[in-house]
Amino acid sequence: MTFVHQEVWHWQIATYLFLGGLGGATFAISAVLHLFEGCDRKMLSVAIMSSIAFLVIGTIFLLADMLQPLKAIYALTNPRSWIFWGVIFINFYFVSAIAYVIPLLETWPQLLPIIRKIPQPVLSLLERFNKLAALTGSAAGFLVAIYTGLLISAAPAISFWNTPALPLLFVISGFSTGAAYLLLLSTFSKNESAWKITAKLEQLDAVLIVSELIILGAYFNFALFLPTGARASAEYLFHSPVFLVGFFIAGLIVPLAIETYGIFFSGHSKKSGSLLVAASALVLVGGYLLRIYVLKAGIFQYPW
Amino acid sequence: MARYGMIMDLRTCVGCQACMAACATENQTPFWSGKFRTHVEDKTRGAFPDVTRELLPRLCMHCDNTPCLSACPTGATFMNRDGVVLVNFDRCIGCYACCVACPYDARYPYDREDVDREHELYGKTVTHEMPHVDKCTFCTHRVSEHREPACVSTCPTNTRIFGNLDDAASEVHKLAVSGKARVLNEGLGTSPKVMYIPS
Repeated sequence: MTFVHQEVWHWQIATYLFLGGLGGATFAISAVLHLFEGCDRKMLSVAIMSSIAFLVIGTIFLLADMLQPLKAIYALTNPRSWIFWGVIFINFYFVSAIAYVIPLLETWPQLLPIIRKIPQPVLSLLERFNKLAALTGSAAGFLVAIYTGLLISAAPAISFWNTPALPLLFVISGFSTGAAYLLLLSTFSKNESAWKITAKLEQLDAVLIVSELIILGAYFNFALFLPTGARASAEYLFHSPVFLVGFFIAGLIVPLAIETYGIFFSGHSKKSGSLLVAASALVLVGGYLLRIYVLKAGIFQYPW
Repeated sequence: MARYGMIMDLRTCVGCQACMAACATENQTPFWSGKFRTHVEDKTRGAFPDVTRELLPRLCMHCDNTPCLSACPTGATFMNRDGVVLVNFDRCIGCYACCVACPYDARYPYDREDVDREHELYGKTVTHEMPHVDKCTFCTHRVSEHREPACVSTCPTNTRIFGNLDDAASEVHKLAVSGKARVLNEGLGTSPKVMYIPS
C-alpha cells in the first residue's frame, strides 16, 4: 500500500471551489431573505452583482488551470461527469442571477441610462417575475455550492474525498461564507432596516458554523478510524498548523464566539459592528483555507 | 471485436525497465519530465536479514467499469470496440478530472512544455501535437497491424502476456480463468483487464 498526495489540483482549483460556494450561497441566501424578509434593494443588488463576479472569477481560475481552456465548450458532452453538471448549474445560476438583479439595479440612479436601453416589455417582465427569479436563483445557488463538493468526491482512490460528508461539508461551509459575506455587506448598509437583516444573518451564520463543526466531527471520526488513505489525510490535516489555527480556530471557533456574544449579549447593536466585520472576514478566510487544505490532503491509496 | 487484456507474471519480472524504455520511444512519452505510460514499481520491504524486493509493472488497467471515463466531461476518454480505454487528444481540455478519478495512477498531463520538447526531439514525426492528458493505449496502432504492444514485445522475460480475453484459445484467456491471476484494488469494482500472477 502506498499513499501519494494528488498533484494535479492546487490553489487555483481551491479558489474556484471557494468562490463557487461563496457566490452560490450568497445568491441563495439573498434570494431567500428577499422572499421571506424583504430587504434593502441596494444591498441586495450589490450582493447579487458581487456573487456573479465571484462565479466569473472562479470560472477564470478553473479555465486557467486547464491544458486547453479554449475547448471548454466540450465539457457539455458527458452527463456522467460532475463537471458537465457544474457547467449546467453555473449557467442556470448566471441566467437566474442576471434576470433577478436587473430590476434591483434600478435603485442606482447612475445605472438608469444603461437599464433604460433594455426594451420596456422585457423590463416589466423581469420586474413581474422577480420573485420567481429569486426562487430559481436560490435553487441554482444551492446546486452550485453543493457541486463544488460533488466534483472532488468523485475520486474512488482518494478515500478522504470519496465520502458523502465532503459535499455536505462544502455546502454548509459555502453557506457559512455566503452568510458572512452578506453580514459584512449589511454592516456597511446605511439603511436602518439593514440591522434587522444583520441580526438574522448573524444567527444564520452561527447555526451554520455549529453544523459545520458537527459535520467535521463526524468526518474526522470516520477518517481517523479506518486504515486507509482517509486516515493519512486526516493525520496530515491534524499536523498542519495553518489548517488548525487558520481554519479551525480563527475561521470557526473565534467567529462563532463573536457571533454568540453578538446574539446573546450585545443585542445586535451597532456597537458590535466592528466585531461582526472581523468575524465575517475570519469566516471568509477560513472557508478559503478549508478548500486549500482539503485539496492538499487529497491522498491516493495505491495498491502497490 | 475483441476484449484485450494483459497478464503480468510477477514470477518472472526482473525489473529491467525495458518495457518503460520501449513504451517511451514507441509512444513519444515525456521521459524527459519523468512521465511514463508504464512503470515498474520497485519496493524493498523489511530489514536485514528479512528483506524482500517486490517488483510490480503497472500501466492503465483498461477497466471495464472506468472511473476516468465517468469523470471526463468532454467525452475525450472513451472505450473502443476492443475494450481499450483511449483519449481523443483533440477533445481533451486537460481539466484533470480523470487523473483524480483514476485509482491506478495511469494518467499524467502531457503539458505545453512537453509538447515543445517533443517537437525539438522528434521534429515532424510528433504524435502529441497539443497538450492533453495522456495514458496507455495498449499500442492500438501496433495491435491493428497484428503486432504486440511495445512493452510486451520487448519484455525479455515474458512477464507481460497480451491478447484477447474472450478468445478461449488464447494464453491470456487461459491464465485469466486459471484462478492464479488477481486484479489490483478489486474492492473498488473497476473490473480491470490487466491481471497479476503473484510471485
